[in-house]
Amino acid sequence: MSSCVLEEESFHRCCQLLLQQSQQLGDGWSWEPVQGSQEGYLRKTALRSVAIDPRPVRDQAGSSSDCGQEEEQSAPVASADADTIRSDAEDEDDEDEGVCAACDGGSQVLQYEYHVLFSCSYRTPVLYFRASTLEGRSLSLEEVWGSVHPNFRVRLQSSPLSTVTQQEHPLLGQPFFMLHPCRTEEFMRPVLQAAQDQHRPVNYVLTWLSVVGPVVGLDVPLQYSTQLHPAASVCMDPADDGPG
Amino acid sequence: MASDTSGAASSAADLKLQFAPFSSALEAGFWHQLTQKKLDDYRLDESPKCIKGYYYNGDPVGLPTRLTLEFSAFDVDGPTPARCCPAIGTLYNTNTLDAFKTADKKALLEKEAKEIWDAIQSGAALKDPSILCRFILLTFADLKKYHFYYWFCFPALCFPEGIKIVQQPSVLEQVFSAKQIAALQEAYDGLCLRRETSAVPYFLMKYTDDTVQLAPLGDWDTFFTDTKKVTVGVYDPCTLSQHPGWPLRNLLVFLANRWGSKLDTVEVLCFRDRTLQGSRSIQHSVVFQVKLPDLPDNSVCPKSVGWEKNPKGAMGPRMVNLSECMDPKRLAESSVDLNLKLMRWRLVPTLDLDKVVNTKCLLLGAGTLGCNVARTLMGWGVRHITFVDNAKISYSNPVRQPLYEFEDCLGGGKSKAMAAVDRLTKIFPGVNSEGYNMSIPMPGHPVNFSQATLSQAQRDVEQLEKLISEHDVVFLLMDTRESRWLPTVIAANKRKLVVNAALGFDTFVVMRHGLKKPPVSPKVSAGADSSPSCSSASSSSSTPAGSVPSIPGSSLFSNIPGHKLGCYFCNDVVAPGDSTRDRTLDQQCTVSRPGLAMIAGALAVEMMVSILQHSEGGYAVASSSDDRMNEPPTSLGLVPHQIRGFLSRFDNVLPASLAFDKCTACSPIVLDHYEREGFHFLSKVFNSSHSFLEDLTGLTLLHQETQAAEIWDMSDDESI
Repeated sequence: MSSCVLEEESFHRCCQLLLQQSQQLGDGWSWEPVQGSQEGYLRKTALRSVAIDPRPVRDQAGSSSDCGQEEEQSAPVASADADTIRSDAEDEDDEDEGVCAACDGGSQVLQYEYHVLFSCSYRTPVLYFRASTLEGRSLSLEEVWGSVHPNFRVRLQSSPLSTVTQQEHPLLGQPFFMLHPCRTEEFMRPVLQAAQDQHRPVNYVLTWLSVVGPVVGLDVPLQYSTQLHPAASVCMDPADDGPG
Repeated sequence: MASDTSGAASSAADLKLQFAPFSSALEAGFWHQLTQKKLDDYRLDESPKCIKGYYYNGDPVGLPTRLTLEFSAFDVDGPTPARCCPAIGTLYNTNTLDAFKTADKKALLEKEAKEIWDAIQSGAALKDPSILCRFILLTFADLKKYHFYYWFCFPALCFPEGIKIVQQPSVLEQVFSAKQIAALQEAYDGLCLRRETSAVPYFLMKYTDDTVQLAPLGDWDTFFTDTKKVTVGVYDPCTLSQHPGWPLRNLLVFLANRWGSKLDTVEVLCFRDRTLQGSRSIQHSVVFQVKLPDLPDNSVCPKSVGWEKNPKGAMGPRMVNLSECMDPKRLAESSVDLNLKLMRWRLVPTLDLDKVVNTKCLLLGAGTLGCNVARTLMGWGVRHITFVDNAKISYSNPVRQPLYEFEDCLGGGKSKAMAAVDRLTKIFPGVNSEGYNMSIPMPGHPVNFSQATLSQAQRDVEQLEKLISEHDVVFLLMDTRESRWLPTVIAANKRKLVVNAALGFDTFVVMRHGLKKPPVSPKVSAGADSSPSCSSASSSSSTPAGSVPSIPGSSLFSNIPGHKLGCYFCNDVVAPGDSTRDRTLDQQCTVSRPGLAMIAGALAVEMMVSILQHSEGGYAVASSSDDRMNEPPTSLGLVPHQIRGFLSRFDNVLPASLAFDKCTACSPIVLDHYEREGFHFLSKVFNSSHSFLEDLTGLTLLHQETQAAEIWDMSDDESI
């Protein structure tokens, strides 16, 4: 039992190892310390080109009452007001010939920001994330689900990973989405148990991230476990190893 | 626009070099920070501010070439993200939309272009080539609506005749050997190391079959001994295989200005460096050769371009509406909803919140019960709450009525209905609340003193009828019995769900009224089940005497469907009258244990929510205390008819009782009269003594019939 929880100290060690590997692999993780405290979090940003499914999504949380607003919000942002402002900066007829033709597909580019924090109450890592358009508008929960491939959606929404909730970021105080950690221990237990039985080292944070990350578009390259020296991924605190 | 360009390009064949412009990319944090700066720092200061963005050359194919501004954009001296190149910009934040619209974009662009040109001419760009890649950001922040208008400009100096391509762009791996590519990567990393940075925007390059040498731009004179053909490298954020990104553009002008006459062809390496799935690659970098044209007059700043097109491809600004994530009111709304949704995620997955949130609630009475009911409704996310009360807030109220404060009592006191609305809006601006300061006419309280009082009563009745029609649930939360009569009749007539809460000193009843079947269906005669209503629990203090068949209560009073349930008056054998007359003060006022109203108010709302969760709503079969061990009919549990609470024993029971065919409020004869005669009938009730309703419903007769039976009943377990 005790082997399935993560102490804060182990969390930090797991993160350090993950950072080292990330640097070798160029995977873009960084550690963001919080000023004036020991705390901090892993951070990574990623850009994804997503085909937004325009059909309204009934996520687990979805209440059709806010669908109306949602649609209004996600409509093209240029308002009539903004449209009326024209430029006299460049003569319209004198088109700049040094520009290549825009090659814009039907898809939308979204900026994702992922944070990995430690939850003292669940004693697990927690994945926080937010997504925004290139204009800087944060996506609503409905839109986040909308960016998940339809084939996955149904399955995810009925799985323990579907508990995406909006929460204030505990360190930044800004609204973020998070994958609720209430089932984390449940799905980590067998992995850790197996590793322990086989005396195989395992990086809790990395293993956990490879399970939860893909749900929200965060890929964890396989190279983390194939290219690197396996000893580099030992991370469970021996003190935690109890009889399962 | 875009199509014109491509048309022109194809006609000029593949001769002229074309660049992929930057697309602006803003992170949500940027707008948050701009808002803070505007409020705390800039205020009305419109002077230009220095900000910083960055660009990246490691994107997967298909992503637009971006210049990104994030939270940290205002910290110009702060760190740039690893492997990204910084770009310095000028922020013009206007105070008005008008100033934004009328800003002289041409002048702004020319000013910025002039600075770049000056840096080129003075040689400053040689020392710090990042000067070549600058931007302008024109903004207007509407902080009332959280609408942000913005327009980016990426100034580029132009050769009047364009740039001739000598050798078509090719992917690096087609031009370089694997060895050369490895050497280039090593040389670039070495250059970064020497420069103590993780990205170099522009560099010089020499190579042989085996080796690659790189040097910073400033080393030009020592690095190149032969200038027939030089190779320059540019950190290239573009992912297109046939086009370089924007940062190259000003570099070429710089080269032409400084060495143009000496250069024959320039080879350009668009250095792209990405890591996918843990493996790094620069093979997809692009190489091509151009012939730099002469600049017509080396002393005059060339023509410049660079304002960004909007998403429609037109020359115009962009606007982003961030009210959803920045407006405190919107944030409060979504937080309230999300808090409720949490219940669904983990505890009650089948909970239908929409039904609750969208229910329009009419609260008759804004006193102790009304205040507590309103607060619990808010907790459930109910948005539409209407108050009716005719009283003013008095000094004794605030301690028991949680929507009022001492200040509300001053100057004679504010109207309760209005003050309650104000307070709800303060607590949660997303609520849609209205107050009506009006009286509800009551039986035994005559309205026929004058024509004026009569027509006032008529207006009050019409107003109440209108309000009941417009709402889904009517809460009866008044402090007298008779004031509940009129809304009971109207709501029964309109088939609206009624939740009633009434307090004793340490007892309370919370109940739903039976919901009559829709009028179209054949009326079920209450007479068919004419057994007088009686509570299955011993709690009812007004068990009507009568010919109760000797069937055990549990079987007779279980499984009563919602349309056969009684109302507040069904258990009474006297008609409502003036209960405040001939009463002492303590009898007139609600004197009850202070916690009672909170308990009863909360239970009234929770009962409503449970009813709404039942598939049959108000027609749901009444659950009773006996059902506590059974499978509950809704995801939230039981749907009782009544909750009777006894604070002295800290105990609640769940009685259910049938509608009484002689009820003074909901019996068919009363409803028929109201339906047929309307106010005419009502005014007779208001103006008459209680015997009018008792005669009408047959209660008088019942009294006479049961005079004798009462004696035997008294000796039983019930005390009357």
